[in-house]
Amino acid sequence: MRTLLSLAAILLALASAPVRAGEPAPPSDEVVSDISTREIAIKSNFAGIEILIFGSVDFSARPAPDTGTYDVIVVIRAPGQALVARRKQRVAGIWVNGPGETYPSVPGFYAVLSTRPLRAITSDETLKSLGIGLGNLDFGRSAKTDPAEQTFRLAVIDLKERQRLFQEQDDGVTFIGRSLFRASVDLPVNVPIGRYTANVYLLRDGQVVSKNQSTLEVNKVGFERLVYLLAFRYPFIYGLLAVVVAVVAGLIGWVAFRRE
Amino acid sequence: MFQVYLPIAEMSVNLLVMLGRGAAVGFLSGVFGVGGGFLLTPFLIFSGISAPIAVATGANQIVATSVSGALAQWRRNNIDFRMGTVLIVGGVAGALIGVLILKVLREAGQAGLIISLTYVVLLGTIGALMLGESIRAIRRARAGKPSSGRKPGQHNWVHGLPLKMRFPRSRLYISAIPPLVIGSVVGLLTAFLGVGGGFIMVPAMIYLLRMPTNIVIGTSTFQIIFVTAVVTILHASFNHSLDVVLAFILAAGGVMGGQFGVRAGQKLRGEQLRALLALLVLAVAIRLLFDLVLKPADLYSIAPVLTGA
Repeated sequence: MRTLLSLAAILLALASAPVRAGEPAPPSDEVVSDISTREIAIKSNFAGIEILIFGSVDFSARPAPDTGTYDVIVVIRAPGQALVARRKQRVAGIWVNGPGETYPSVPGFYAVLSTRPLRAITSDETLKSLGIGLGNLDFGRSAKTDPAEQTFRLAVIDLKERQRLFQEQDDGVTFIGRSLFRASVDLPVNVPIGRYTANVYLLRDGQVVSKNQSTLEVNKVGFERLVYLLAFRYPFIYGLLAVVVAVVAGLIGWVAFRRE
Repeated sequence: MFQVYLPIAEMSVNLLVMLGRGAAVGFLSGVFGVGGGFLLTPFLIFSGISAPIAVATGANQIVATSVSGALAQWRRNNIDFRMGTVLIVGGVAGALIGVLILKVLREAGQAGLIISLTYVVLLGTIGALMLGESIRAIRRARAGKPSSGRKPGQHNWVHGLPLKMRFPRSRLYISAIPPLVIGSVVGLLTAFLGVGGGFIMVPAMIYLLRMPTNIVIGTSTFQIIFVTAVVTILHASFNHSLDVVLAFILAAGGVMGGQFGVRAGQKLRGEQLRALLALLVLAVAIRLLFDLVLKPADLYSIAPVLTGA
């Protein structure tokens, strides 16, 4: 409900934004956007969250309404992580991890939402140059033509898609009326922490005419943050505390259940 | 409802399911005098928790169950503290080696495989040996012959070793080397598999050292507290793989289950207990073997790159 209210407020603000007089007219239409939740707090009850990206296409710079085909592509991306992909092979009847491929920077989360299938919106070259689409992620290393390496790349995408950490939604962006649009994304429970970027591209007849970026912080808070920080900054103390807690739990259990 | 987020495992689990698992393992731990980790670690891995986190967290929860287990054993005067101390000295040395081996294997992406293989070989061998022995013991008991548990006059090669120590509680005068070796092997397994190691320590002490069964169980539970505590701290320090929230949930369930387990165990005869434990151990080994031999649903896997630091 709060999300809806804030959405309504922002849409209202967008709609009533005055035309900037005196400034030179922007070269083309403009897109503005925002995210329903700028900060996502991972607490003990965290079970994933749905975020809403919404915005408006500003046609005010245009003297007359235009008839081109407008499309919006929303790309949400978490910071990259180094990953190794391995393939199992049979050795003496047992399935063993064989040689793998290392990728220096695989986005921890990556979602592409669009008004229509990406291929229908624009050319492969444009998508490639913008790095939009699961097939156009470079994972921090240049794509080889080596088919063996390609299968690893596809396996990474497939595994991440099944973990819902990679998403592609052809109809994820919906226009409300002529200029307002919204897109909702489910962040699964296993989302990595960090500063996410949400890039919103406005395309007209296959050409990017405007781009808008906003950020989103995903962080552990409260007790979860304390545990996480202790575990990684003061691991020895963390381990010691864990032992103390366990000993106390054991003592309590013994006292509580003791029968003489 | 009842979903709890685990800050290190970075996943959400059902509180009641995890409490139940902890309780089930705690119960078995109380019945048999084993840490129960050989059940808990696979259970956690089946829940989708990564093997290193399962190992470290399992070790931490065993600290809790073995504290209440050891207190119950202490009240019954079943702990040989002197023997326990010798076992702990060996155990800490083994734990260090185990944590370092696991670290190296993780970086090579082979930790899961080697952990499973070790489980299969160890549990399979021990389960089969124990089952054979306890079936023979049950048959002897049915035939009305006296139990052949401990023969004080009988000596084996263990008695020829130097560094002899007196262990009054166990009524033993033996070399400190076998308990040191047993302790270090168990410490290594604790670090490596997230097990208390009772399943190897209990038979080794009964058959090799010829300690009385009740004192073996008490002493094993006592030393498990210290070795699992050291392993918890080492894994937290070297591998950052300890999830306290998960450990606490499992421990809460485990402590409750353990109390009922100790009482249930007293109603069973020694050889029946051993036969049941043997069957359980074999079942886990077979399950793990199947997972290694059957073609996996996913040939590919991804893992974060672990730096050598």
